[in-house]
Amino acid sequence: MPDETIGQHLKRQGISRRDFVKMCGVLVGAMGLRYAPPLDESGLPAHLENVRGFTSAAFIADTLASKPRVPVIWLEFQDCAGCSEALTRSQDPTLVDLVLNTITIEYHETLSAAAGFQAEQAKQDAMKKYAGKYVLVVEGSIPTDNDGVYCTIGGRTAVDLLKEAAAGAAAIIATGNCASFGGIPKAKPNPTGAKGVWELITDKPVVNIPGCPAIPEATTGTIANFIVFGALPQLDSLHRPLTFYGHTIHDRCLRRAFYEAGKFAESFDDEGAKQGWCLYKLGCKGPTTYNSCATIKWDQGLSFPIQSGHPCLGCSEPNFWDGGGFYQGQSAPLDRPTITAVGAAAAAGAVIGVGVAAANRMQKTSAKVEKGG
Amino acid sequence: MNWENILEFARGPFFQVALLVFVAGMAYRLVRVLALGWKPDRVKAKGSRVGGVAVSFLKGIIIWPFVPWVKNTFSRNPVIYLAGGLFHLGLFVVIFLGTAHMLVWKSLLGIGWFTLPLPIVDWLAAGAIVAMIALFINRLVNPVLKLLTGPAEWLNWLIVFLPMVTGYIMTHHLWLEYDTLFALHMLAVDVLLIWIPMSRISHFMFYFFAKAIHGSDFGKRAVTP
Ligand code: HEM
Ligand code: HEM
Ligand code: SF4
Repeated sequence: MPDETIGQHLKRQGISRRDFVKMCGVLVGAMGLRYAPPLDESGLPAHLENVRGFTSAAFIADTLASKPRVPVIWLEFQDCAGCSEALTRSQDPTLVDLVLNTITIEYHETLSAAAGFQAEQAKQDAMKKYAGKYVLVVEGSIPTDNDGVYCTIGGRTAVDLLKEAAAGAAAIIATGNCASFGGIPKAKPNPTGAKGVWELITDKPVVNIPGCPAIPEATTGTIANFIVFGALPQLDSLHRPLTFYGHTIHDRCLRRAFYEAGKFAESFDDEGAKQGWCLYKLGCKGPTTYNSCATIKWDQGLSFPIQSGHPCLGCSEPNFWDGGGFYQGQSAPLDRPTITAVGAAAAAGAVIGVGVAAANRMQKTSAKVEKGG
Repeated sequence: MNWENILEFARGPFFQVALLVFVAGMAYRLVRVLALGWKPDRVKAKGSRVGGVAVSFLKGIIIWPFVPWVKNTFSRNPVIYLAGGLFHLGLFVVIFLGTAHMLVWKSLLGIGWFTLPLPIVDWLAAGAIVAMIALFINRLVNPVLKLLTGPAEWLNWLIVFLPMVTGYIMTHHLWLEYDTLFALHMLAVDVLLIWIPMSRISHFMFYFFAKAIHGSDFGKRAVTP
């Protein structure tokens, strides 16, 4: 029942106001409301301006409860459904739950009970009914080579479907590295000409929530921000919400002190690894990777790769798949000349050197001969 | 063309080309110097050539950093002498004992070695940068040096300075995004690699030639300084 307010829906679900306010407390934290948009963009009444400084959970709860649930259309293209998996399987009883209660998913290829033409019809109906109001979430990259034939649904190409759905969307969110930057399908040699959403949709703001998969709280937090404030959160130059992508992993890493002290694990089973030392020499991309794994973490804040002993792969950055070996230092060159090439260069330099020297000497000798004669 | 692509280019094909140009250029320079040949020296040997070379290098190693006041380049202008020393010390520590750079050597040579804690490398990097600025000012104000300094010398300074500052700014995540700074650092490094064989920065190789040849001649004549 998408037309009821969020408050009505929660009541029907048997969620008490007390629990709801508690959830909103988490939401306030996760959204990092220091990035609250200016009043005129937020759609809030002016007398609430002074409340915004210390946005309370109760205030957010009231704002949310009064709004209608937001219809979401979720498209999947060249993806692995990992972002959807991460979202639906995240056991977080508060934030993700909350957001799933504040939206209605009108179309989702993996979750949909309907199939085939019925599902496509439902999508068409939803797009018509909620034109200009729905949030479009895209998962997976979009192939563009050979007229986009590498990914078609119901006989239509991904490019076509994306453009159609984007036209009526109030906001577009690209979840995961694939939808944001092309991800793994775009890895060299990029056989399908894969692209991220923002490369194709340029007339509307696209929020990127990259990651492999995207952190569920970052996706839901962004949706929540849109519901509460009626606006998108503040973004960085790669269109990622600053709240979740404002710092590098390295900035917030629990192994950082060891980095500073020059204590590094040299292999995965040496003493350093056992002591929890920095993974930089094992290829950690933390210093160049903006994401909030180190703070929000995974599995209800249990751990994240670096905490578990594996270097960061940099999965929230463009082209991370081609950024050098995963286990090679992040400063290592991407292309290295072969020994033969180095030898050939040295030989070429030497041969030219000998040639020029010989030419000079001949000139000198002939000059001498001329003088002597 | 965004910074991503520039970084990929500067870490990838451009770096590869720069390295090959560097190798070819240094081989060329080396052969040219060797081909100058030695004039036959018919003076009767009074001392040992090998001994002369050894003394020459030992003095370089001991006097230069530890008892510099016996040299008049030091007593004439100790600040500049020390600035030159600090710059080279910082440069070598950063290039060989900074973790990021050791990993570059490791990826090229296949072997790695120990590295120093970041704060030490970082302070030496800062010291080297300050020293370079001091050397720059010295060239601006010293009347003799000013005459000796042509465009090539100014370029030398600039091309060595750029990787130093971009590296430092990058380590501290200042002003620009890390990737942008990384791209600038790599571009600067690639330009440096290409520039070295064509310029006097090639002294990192010929310095040892000069020391060896002078040492050997002095040794032979038993006039080791
Ligand atoms: C074993 C290697 C090296 C040795 C023995 C060496 C030695 C020297 C000496 C004796 C001087 C002149 C005195 C001074 O200004 O301090 C000098 C100057 C200089 N060197 Fe080196 N050097 C080496 C490597 C390098 C490298 C690798 C670079 C750059 C990448 C470099 C950059 C410079 C510069 C820019 C100057 C001029 C400083 C000025 O403006 O006065 N050197 N070097
Ligand atoms: C392929 C060559 C090189 C690569 C891949 C490279 C990469 C890097 C990286 C990744 C850092 C940052 C480390 C961090 O964030 O902690 C850095 C710092 C730095 N680099 Fe390089 N670099 C190279 C060559 C050079 C050269 C030739 C110079 C000097 C002439 C240089 C000077 C510096 C300096 C001064 C720093 C700052 C060190 C500090 O403050 O601790 N780099 N470099
Ligand atoms: S493990 Fe990675 S992110 Fe953590 S301090 Fe080391 S380099 Fe930085």
